[in-house]
Amino acid sequence: MKPNFTQKVTNWGNFPVVEKEMRSEDSFKKIKEFVLNHNEIIARGNGRCYGDASLGETIFSTKKLNKFISFDRLNGIIECESGVLLSDVLEIAVPQGYFLYVTPGTKFVSVGGAIASDVHGKNHHAEGCFSEYVIEFKLMVENGEIITCSREEHSEKFWATIGGMGLTGIILTAKFKLKNIESAYIRQESIKADTLDEIFSLFEESEKWTYTVAWIDCLQKGKNIGRSILMRGEHAFQHELPQDLAKTPLRLKKKLQPTVPFYFPGFVLNALTVKIFNWLYYKKQSKKEVKSFIDYETFFYPLDAINDWNKIYGKSGFIQYQMVIPKEAGKEGMKRILETIAKSGNGSFLAVLKLFGKNNLQAYNSFPLEGYTLALDFKVNSKLKKLVDQLDAIVQEFGGRIYLTKDSMSRSSLTNYLKNIRNSKFVSLQHKRIINNNS
Amino acid sequence: MIVLGSTSEVAQAFVEKALQEGEKFEKIYLFTSNKETTERFARHLDVKFLQQAEVIELDLTKEIDYNRFDHINSNVLFCAIGYLGEGTEEGLYDNKNTERIIGINYAKLVPVMNYFAHKFESRRSGTIIGLSSVAGDRGRQSNFIYGSAKAAFTAYLSGLRNYLFDKKVHVLTIKPGFMATKMTEGLPLNPKLTATPKQAAACIYKAFKKQNNVAYVLPVWSIIMMIIRNIPEFIFKKLKL
Ligand SMILES: Cc1cc2nc3c(=O)[nH]c(=O)nc-3n(C[C@H](O)[C@H](O)[C@H](O)COP(=O)(O)OP(=O)(O)OC[C@H]3O[C@@H](n4cnc5c(N)ncnc54)[C@H](O)[C@@H]3O)c2cc1C
Repeated sequence: MKPNFTQKVTNWGNFPVVEKEMRSEDSFKKIKEFVLNHNEIIARGNGRCYGDASLGETIFSTKKLNKFISFDRLNGIIECESGVLLSDVLEIAVPQGYFLYVTPGTKFVSVGGAIASDVHGKNHHAEGCFSEYVIEFKLMVENGEIITCSREEHSEKFWATIGGMGLTGIILTAKFKLKNIESAYIRQESIKADTLDEIFSLFEESEKWTYTVAWIDCLQKGKNIGRSILMRGEHAFQHELPQDLAKTPLRLKKKLQPTVPFYFPGFVLNALTVKIFNWLYYKKQSKKEVKSFIDYETFFYPLDAINDWNKIYGKSGFIQYQMVIPKEAGKEGMKRILETIAKSGNGSFLAVLKLFGKNNLQAYNSFPLEGYTLALDFKVNSKLKKLVDQLDAIVQEFGGRIYLTKDSMSRSSLTNYLKNIRNSKFVSLQHKRIINNNS
Repeated sequence: MIVLGSTSEVAQAFVEKALQEGEKFEKIYLFTSNKETTERFARHLDVKFLQQAEVIELDLTKEIDYNRFDHINSNVLFCAIGYLGEGTEEGLYDNKNTERIIGINYAKLVPVMNYFAHKFESRRSGTIIGLSSVAGDRGRQSNFIYGSAKAAFTAYLSGLRNYLFDKKVHVLTIKPGFMATKMTEGLPLNPKLTATPKQAAACIYKAFKKQNNVAYVLPVWSIIMMIIRNIPEFIFKKLKL
């Protein structure tokens, strides 16, 4: 048997699926050889982007760059290789009283992927993106050299790489700050809203909360549009916790992890089942307002509780459509988006609304802009392309943009916002798609 | 713990598994032919588990100075050294290839194993875990040089187990089938028959705790190999395996 590195690769949405060469190495020398000997390389972390961002002609997987380098326990500064997952970081940080400053809705993303997408969390309005806490990283550039990038050193490359979707090189290691916590629990309040206006004002009055996010029932029509639940939270102090939790505030109990065993057949998710799901979710909370203490896993990563949940969408896969609309036009834009979805009958299982705060102007390739962002899941089917096009038109009209790490079919006028990344060595299928559609 | 072949992903996963399960080691001795990546692993252990580790270079193709190992003592030895070399088609008549395969998997390895076995014997305690291979269960046309070296290694471990039994030292033979590691990267392996290093480490840890003698990494392999071992020779020789 001769090695043949070509294999089927796909990201979290299982769409698109490609057959490309994928390699992984843990020695920097070998990575250099690999970079010099191949054209059109793209780095891939844990494949948790939804579309084609981490797919390319040759894919460099960072799965073997999975080692920690140092942990300054006094100042909460950690350094690790780029393939280390945020879940690995939490595993050692939380018991020592530290947490990630910024985390996406799944902890199974790599540190390299978090930088390349400059991920945001439920605290963007208060604490910004992942990059705010990155001190430096090592990047392998097209000639195989390794450069250290920080705000002072190679700052040009530093900012281009943040949110740069892997197009500037391969991030090898990274050093970043962690935040202090007293407990592994979140003091949470969840509040129901009946209308879009109500949810928007809830967001605005929750500005002082570190974490806010809303789940929207996006199949509602007419006056029910915007029916939603806002969740807001703070890291709980030890003294606030109920007694049984306060004893070992930094340790969580082990939970069982159910796994989705196979791809669900296509008919399982349809407009009706989504409607029922959303209805149940909304009704589950009978009171207007509920206050509770919940562990950080449940608060930040509810979807991680089911392994491989992406298989629910069946073999044809799904996309996540995430856009941001600038604040002034936010309400109007969201209303139009939700109306369009409701009319299309193409339901989204999951619709998450968030208010972004001011963006860091230095991180010019980062996705967030001050305004409202909505993330929606759609099953891939024959009607989807048309819906995406309609939604794109609305986003464009209101001056918004699309999150590249979730994009796989949006129009290039909304997705070609990256700057300073021209480079013939590091090329993704996504980038090619966007460039080609442009001309 | 003493680890021979520390760049092996299975070895690294096993070390992590043992530490996660709360096993205590004064120090972990990481033998390696690749200092760069092993030093990174040593630092990783320090960050993740506050575990001390020492990196020791070992190149089986060179003369070995055993004096350098005087200070090393432990209760567990994990040997993951293995070298696939070129398969039969490309490498059968290349003597260098043959010698390297036999040397690294068996001839040069056994003296090192013996050196530590002797220490374990004098302490009258400990476990020696050796990664052999299903390829050693029966010689097949595709890679029988490798297979024969692993067969010899399997026989060595079995004899050593017998020899050390009343000296209170346990020997565990692991026979991994396909594993998704550097050694097999890029090969078209059936995912149902292929274990990840993490899965392999969990199986090995279980066998270690249960004091098994011989363990296959994925249970299906014990069935597959039972069948392969029992095919009569006059049929087997005609098969393209
Ligand atoms: C359930 C779920 C919830 C999510 N929630 C959020 C959220 O709340 N907020 C948010 O911002 N995102 C969210 N995401 C998206 C996810 O955080 C990003 O896609 C993240 O970048 C994925 O990281 P990864 O390691 O899997 O990288 P991949 O998906 O493999 O790659 C993503 C991008 O990073 C690049 N890249 C990866 N590693 C490197 C490297 N070492 N060097 C250079 N470039 C690299 C790739 O080229 C690609 O462009 C979510 C995803 C899922 C599946």
